[in-house]
Amino acid sequence: MRIKNAVRAAGIAAFLSMASHAAQVQPPEDVLGELIERNSSDYLTQSEQNIMMMPDNPALWTADEGEALFREERGPNNTSLETCDLGKGPGVVEGVYVELPRYFEDTGRVMDLESRLVYCMTSIQGFSPEDPEVKTRHGSDSDMMKLQTFIASRSSGLPWNPPMDHPLEKAMRDAGEVMFYRRAGTSDFSCATCHTNTSKRIRASVLPNINEPHEWTKAISWPAFRVGQQNVRSSTHRIRGCYWQMRQPQIIPGSDAAIALMSYWTDAARGQPAILPDKKR
Amino acid sequence: MTRNRKLPLLALIAGASLCAAPSLFAAERPSSPVAAYTAMSPEELADYLIFEMEGFDLHAPTQEGGTARDRLEQDRTQKVCSAIARSGAALDRPTAAKISALAEESIQLPEGDIALGDWKKGEQIARSGYGYRMGHRVDDHTGEPPGGNCYACHQLDPNETAHGTVGPSLAGYGRLRGTSDAMLKHTYQIIYNAHLFFPCTTMPRFGHNGTLTQEQIRDVMAYLLDPESPVNQETEQTAQAD
Repeated sequence: MRIKNAVRAAGIAAFLSMASHAAQVQPPEDVLGELIERNSSDYLTQSEQNIMMMPDNPALWTADEGEALFREERGPNNTSLETCDLGKGPGVVEGVYVELPRYFEDTGRVMDLESRLVYCMTSIQGFSPEDPEVKTRHGSDSDMMKLQTFIASRSSGLPWNPPMDHPLEKAMRDAGEVMFYRRAGTSDFSCATCHTNTSKRIRASVLPNINEPHEWTKAISWPAFRVGQQNVRSSTHRIRGCYWQMRQPQIIPGSDAAIALMSYWTDAARGQPAILPDKKR
Repeated sequence: MTRNRKLPLLALIAGASLCAAPSLFAAERPSSPVAAYTAMSPEELADYLIFEMEGFDLHAPTQEGGTARDRLEQDRTQKVCSAIARSGAALDRPTAAKISALAEESIQLPEGDIALGDWKKGEQIARSGYGYRMGHRVDDHTGEPPGGNCYACHQLDPNETAHGTVGPSLAGYGRLRGTSDAMLKHTYQIIYNAHLFFPCTTMPRFGHNGTLTQEQIRDVMAYLLDPESPVNQETEQTAQAD
């Protein structure tokens, strides 16, 4: 364990020095620490234990595994993902996540990280959407979570900055805003029911307010290791859980509805540094 | 009765596993028509993405009967209150009056006097967050009755620390307000449809939406109002008020 830790620390150090031209890339615990220093927030500080354990976040291992997977030649086409364009050109990983969802010319769609990965794994590596590499979306052991955690971790400390240049990006963001406030179902809930208050709790959990960007950046910093679930979880998993709690039907991963919601929630954290991978209760 | 009520759930589980396969992932859907999306208003596009593009699993059966599509359809109150919340504007008086009137129309009072139920049952209902969840894990109402989940948002028993704060504290509710017929009716109306007094409140319309039965509402009322209920024991709050 000790040796593995040292190896990982060396890896991170090497990565950080390599990425020194993009000075803002920072370990997630430092990003969170600075946010807490600059802002008073019951949400950011609610779990002292999680804050303390950030440097030992199991999601860091998931990110390492994801990097190996990203560079490995695999799938029917025996190709790595190093030609996958995540928005900043083929193979560019650094800083791409804070600029998603975005419009992609090649598909004519606004895509989030997960749907873009599906696109690359099917179109470049030749996987079928039914292959477990593509189809299994949840759990630290899934390829999807490993790849997402790796890619996201290379945006830690960078400000959320989803592009709004293409009309479709703006349209999706605005539709996502409508969805966020859209009350429905047997409990009349919307996302806004819980996430437009500061320092309010559901049972013992302090809720993040979408109108407080310094709180919202942590709220949307997925992938994150969820201590209560002992797994790294994605934005898709968070949205699924929210709709379940809202007593509303299951949203379809990769649907434009899901991507619209993510466009809005990412835009709401604009300018605040991403905490990746994060650790949550 | 029990046997009969199990049937829809079995159908529901079978349905869920049948359609769990390819349709759950939409990444391979036809690319979105840029012109069509950008020509719509945000409201139109949201509805289009939900219902026409099937951004949700619309065909899943629900516990109350019907399908997921019905759950996502908004009624007048939901629609108006959503739009106001999104605009960030304060609720104007005419709209508030309209929402309140809709609530008044919806409330069915019990016949005769409203009697308090059993506060112990009411406590269970207040603590339980079970019921009506669907999708990847479906709440089975034949195994466990749906609760009211009051503690998610409200303080009730002053000795319970794991209470939410999205709604106001209700600790000492009955002790502070008494148990007159008017107070009983008022409390029943709030639980049934709180928009009557608080238009566009975030509190669910438990009676109007049918998520609590009349008997359950009376049990929750007993938990709030019965002098024997733990809600009315601790005097911490009055001490502070004095």
